Amino acid sequence: MTVLGYLANGLVFSSIIVLGSIGLSLVYSIADFANFAHGDTMTIGAYTSLVTFGAVGGLGGAVLGLPYGFFVALLAGIAVAAVVAVGTEKLVYEPLDVDSIGLLITSIGIAFIYRAVIQIRFGSDFTRFDIQPLRPIEALLPYGVRVTLHDVAIVASAVALVVGLHVLLQYTDLGRKMRAMADNPDLARVSGIRTRRVKLWTWVIGAGLAGAGGVFLGLFNQLSPRMGFNLLLVIFAAVILGGIGSVYGAMAGGFLIGMINQLTPFFSAVVEAIPIWPGWLAAVVRSLVSIEYANAIAFVIMVLVLLIRPNGIAGEDAT
Amino acid sequence: MSALDAPKAALAGLTRPEGWVLGVSVAFVLFLLAALLTGALGPTYFLFLVGLAGMYALLSFGLNAQWGFTGLINFSVAAFFGIGAYGSALMTASGSPIAGGFNPLVGLVVALVVAFALALLIGIPTLRLRADYLAIASLGLAEVVRLIVLNERWLTNGSAGVRGIPGFFEGWPVLSTFPEAMPGLRLEVVPGSPILLETAFWQASLNVLLVLGFAGATFFVLRRAHRSPWGRVLRTIRSDEDLARALGKNTYSFKMQSFVLGSLIMALAGVFYTHLNLYVGPGDLDPITTFYAWVAVILGGSGSNRGALFGGIVIVTIREGTRFLNDVALPIDPAPLRLLLIGVVIVAVMRYRPQGILPPQRELIWPSAVDGGGAPETPDSGVRERKGGGGDE
Repeated sequence: MTVLGYLANGLVFSSIIVLGSIGLSLVYSIADFANFAHGDTMTIGAYTSLVTFGAVGGLGGAVLGLPYGFFVALLAGIAVAAVVAVGTEKLVYEPLDVDSIGLLITSIGIAFIYRAVIQIRFGSDFTRFDIQPLRPIEALLPYGVRVTLHDVAIVASAVALVVGLHVLLQYTDLGRKMRAMADNPDLARVSGIRTRRVKLWTWVIGAGLAGAGGVFLGLFNQLSPRMGFNLLLVIFAAVILGGIGSVYGAMAGGFLIGMINQLTPFFSAVVEAIPIWPGWLAAVVRSLVSIEYANAIAFVIMVLVLLIRPNGIAGEDAT
Repeated sequence: MSALDAPKAALAGLTRPEGWVLGVSVAFVLFLLAALLTGALGPTYFLFLVGLAGMYALLSFGLNAQWGFTGLINFSVAAFFGIGAYGSALMTASGSPIAGGFNPLVGLVVALVVAFALALLIGIPTLRLRADYLAIASLGLAEVVRLIVLNERWLTNGSAGVRGIPGFFEGWPVLSTFPEAMPGLRLEVVPGSPILLETAFWQASLNVLLVLGFAGATFFVLRRAHRSPWGRVLRTIRSDEDLARALGKNTYSFKMQSFVLGSLIMALAGVFYTHLNLYVGPGDLDPITTFYAWVAVILGGSGSNRGALFGGIVIVTIREGTRFLNDVALPIDPAPLRLLLIGVVIVAVMRYRPQGILPPQRELIWPSAVDGGGAPETPDSGVRERKGGGGDE
């Protein structure tokens, strides 16, 4: 594959990471804790749409190689992920009387409960959507780009959702309230913003985007009960890279981390080509920059960013 | 000592949760004893469970030294546990892809040294970070360790794991042949269901002795450390790091010491696990191990070593109880059921008792200060009288 091909794959994977990281970042800044259940919210979205798609079927026509029924299933996945997240907030997080670290630990418990329920119902095996895998688009093959119409659909939907979120945040009343709350919750509260309601909407939006990300992840790869948890750290890496609390930073971070993840084979080709001295160092570098360590590289980048710029690329300087 | 002198007074001195825990523990022990005597529970398997409980207690002690004492959110417990397990396995096992065949004591030393190096490697970049960043970064680095163990086949045998691990007492003068030398015993407590005590049983009892030694030593070291001036600084850092810094303490250095201490204890748990299970694989580094230790600590009460011990036993009950349930009653896959129980326990503890069941109370005070010795003595005569008594008003 050419560089262009890797970049195209990176774009598709980035779209999924961006959907996940926006939600995580929103919840991080407004509910004020690192939500470890975010990955499993994605899994919920994916499995809901799997069930819905199985129930409604194709519904006739298709767009971009995806039957209409899939879009119905996508909406169902978004809706159920949002409902589950709001229910969890109401039932578990809201009555809690602990600090943000306590909430973080609680969210791990929530993540386990989500995953356990899915695993009890669906088993731990991999599954797929019942959609015919497509051949790569012919017109792009000469450039070394192997993307299917499904990949185009993923990127297009992600772009639509991100643009929608941008409009919501910048031009609507709710968006202004959310930004105010992220800046300073107490000040927002004394200004007459109903912070509790805004928090619920944050959960709806964050979990909804995560649900969409989960559905696309299932379409891109496969579904398994661990899919969300496995992706969680990559998403955290993206959020931290972008700077916690900044939605636009999370978009940029998600884009970068997704690209780096998919460009790893290209990097290892580069490492093969350039001469490194001494020999043992070359061997170490070559064995570490390989496809098996794609996620590990993202985590190491995350730690390095934390060391150099603890507030991320787009984060404010002082906290 | 006081408990032996005056058992009734000691009982009366318990707080309500302590009483509950004691009651439940006694009931549980009686239940296990009954199962043992009737032959429902094999004595060798029972000792294996005791060893496992000791191992989780050790793991929880290690986490307690980090989270309970200093408030470090370390989500890389599984990495240190795995390093301890792999370190000793690779040194001692006959099936080891490198070295192999050394005395288990060499394995122990190597495992601890490697864990020490890894603790510095993870600690140096992450301990300066804010608490929640530390959580994420340590989880990420633990995942890096897991990926390395999984993929570097020349070093760790990859996903096949390491087999052919000897028991810990291999090569020791008397103890290495002790299990074979002991006669096979046949006890019949309940007529018709004899209990056989054979080589495997004696092997398992040696393991239990070993873990009791490890856990006991750790317990006393940690208890002493927690009450020492060093432990007081750690507790200050946990409740207010800026305050500790204002008092002139180098908090980074103290955090690092506590992190390394805890990591070494976790590696010790890993070493024991290697010689208990006689097989290690990359699955042992799964993040779930980290959260088992976390549940044990927050359930028992952060900062409390007794609580960590209690939490360790609960974890083994959940782990093996789900397997037992699957065999006997419910045909539910034990893995997700275990996950569900762990999740429910975390949420329930945080909801109803965030300080844990046995939070540290008097544990942190020197006993002499509580049990009369250090109590301020009531003067025989009042101050006023001694001053010459001017009771005019």
